[in-house]
Amino acid sequence: METPRITVGMVLRHLLMLFILLIFLFPIFWMVLTSFKPAEEVLTRPPTFIFQPTLDNYRYAFEDADFSLFIRNTIVIAGLSTLLVVVFGSLASYSFARYNPGDGHIMFFILTTRMMPGIAVVMPFFLIFRDLGKTPFGQALGLGLDQVGSLVVAYTVFNLPFAIWLMFSFFQDIPTELEHSARLDGYSRLQVFLRVVLPLAAPGIAVTAIFSLMFAWNEFLFGYILTRDAARTITVGVSGFQTQQGILWGPLAAAAVVCILPMLAVAMFLQRYMVRGLTFGAVRG
Amino acid sequence: MLELRSVTKRFGSKTAVHRLNLECKPGEFVVIFGPAGAGKSTTLNLIAGITDPTEGEIWLNGQPLNRVPPEHRNMTMVFENYALYSHLTVFDNLAFPLRAQRMPSAEIARRVDEMAAILQIGPFLKRRPGFLSGGQRQRVALGRALIRDADVYLLDEPISHLDAKLRHQMRGELKALCQRKQATVIHVTHDYREAMSLSHRMVVIDKGHLMQFDTPDAIYHTPANEFVASFVGEPPMSFIDVKLTTRDGAPCLLITGTEAQPAIVSLGDAATAALAENANALRIGVRASDISLSTTASASHGTRAEVYVVETLGHRDIVTTQIGTHLVKVIAPSGLGLQVRDTVWLNIEPHTYHLFRDEQSISHPTDEMRIAQGV
Repeated sequence: METPRITVGMVLRHLLMLFILLIFLFPIFWMVLTSFKPAEEVLTRPPTFIFQPTLDNYRYAFEDADFSLFIRNTIVIAGLSTLLVVVFGSLASYSFARYNPGDGHIMFFILTTRMMPGIAVVMPFFLIFRDLGKTPFGQALGLGLDQVGSLVVAYTVFNLPFAIWLMFSFFQDIPTELEHSARLDGYSRLQVFLRVVLPLAAPGIAVTAIFSLMFAWNEFLFGYILTRDAARTITVGVSGFQTQQGILWGPLAAAAVVCILPMLAVAMFLQRYMVRGLTFGAVRG
Repeated sequence: MLELRSVTKRFGSKTAVHRLNLECKPGEFVVIFGPAGAGKSTTLNLIAGITDPTEGEIWLNGQPLNRVPPEHRNMTMVFENYALYSHLTVFDNLAFPLRAQRMPSAEIARRVDEMAAILQIGPFLKRRPGFLSGGQRQRVALGRALIRDADVYLLDEPISHLDAKLRHQMRGELKALCQRKQATVIHVTHDYREAMSLSHRMVVIDKGHLMQFDTPDAIYHTPANEFVASFVGEPPMSFIDVKLTTRDGAPCLLITGTEAQPAIVSLGDAATAALAENANALRIGVRASDISLSTTASASHGTRAEVYVVETLGHRDIVTTQIGTHLVKVIAPSGLGLQVRDTVWLNIEPHTYHLFRDEQSISHPTDEMRIAQGV
């Protein structure tokens, strides 16, 4: 085996990469650092890097600011809306890819629902959920103001068009002969969808799920307007540390660290499925 | 018994299959043969239920198949582009149809191993299709179709993408395998050797129209029209335009373009009768292997021609000769030392040529004619 030669160019290149990496990672590093700082050291100048670490900020965030509820809410909302988006999005996207209903007009119409900013529709959403919450239907389904269900619906509505467009090309890439072949092998339409189409579309579904999760996890506006206490989400919760007495930097950093971790874990898990060319070798050419 | 009754398939304004009638007996190996775009694959898709006929009906064992979904037709198919499940290993690809039948896993493993041995893909069972060569993929596709028992096996160019040596070997394996299964097989190909060597009966189609449906022997020796004649055989049949004329009071054929130095071809009795009513657009076709050439004129070799090109095959030569404006290929023994523009004499006679009128055949050389001539 040939031993790789280390050249000056290689060393310089790696040093440059290290430097850029440090620039990008520093804010996150600073956030983690701040979350462990005692309150009096947070804003000292020059900043301290060596101090007695404390968990006070985390204690404050979870006990005084009820952050565990916000995290639970956000996990439920992001998880449920992503599940709905993937289920309905893949079904819709598959039929668009295979049957092209509406000759592309319906596809385009779906896209147009994303052509206005969220702030333009947040008031209608507010009014709809306010009134829906007073009906037996809304109460039965847990829809209404300051209800987790409302945000699930809102995020699903927002993410579906994007998901349909994203998954469309993944479904289109799957050769139809594979489905015909599976039918002849003795499987029904639905079985073919579940056993052949979905596994081959897994990369598209993983990408869609990540985007959908990230959107729901990071969304602020709807979470702010549609909730008060019971259905608060983490982004709104973090903004709550901006108090009349000033910004509580320590607890804010602690809460932010806790917010980042689950998404990091999910992204790393789903990354395994984000491989291109799963259909490689299926057909000739 | 598989029957196609006047099946038509149109895509928009384009007719892919036109009023096709076929009848395949149980255990029969039928080859559908035709050029690209003839409607071969469409016919298979219609039988499989992947597409529905615009008109007509398909019957299997006395039951109409219209509106029966593919999964209930008990047919298997090899797709021209393989259509392998790329997310599954070769083993799982082969096992896929068996699992649909809820077969016990020990039996599945036994059958997969057996099929893998026949197709020589045993070492690749754990790989995914993306890590196989084209030929290996094609064998996996073939194995997946042949692994389960079905009423009809539909094979769309199942061995065309293998290299020559393997193709030859797989052709034999395929024939043996299908004979053992006593299965009805519909095999699509554009390779006439494959068609001839595999089939009990051959369907020749062109542009969606049935040209001829007969045994390979009959297709070769009594082609129904010029298309079938030109499409079967290697080197392809040579065609010569002729006109009806008389010589010494007897009807005979004059090769067009040789009026200055008439090249006359005699006419058989059967053809003479047929031409009495209509003798327009006549053409004769000769196979390079049916005729011979001589360097001297004689009673048997009476048609003058000029050497145009000589291609050497080693044990014999393919000589392209020119008569008037027509090029005629002849297989000749090597070592004649023929040069371009040499004069040679061909035996274009009723026992060597096929006669066509308006592209439809009128007469063929029969065995009796050949025997009478001592060929």
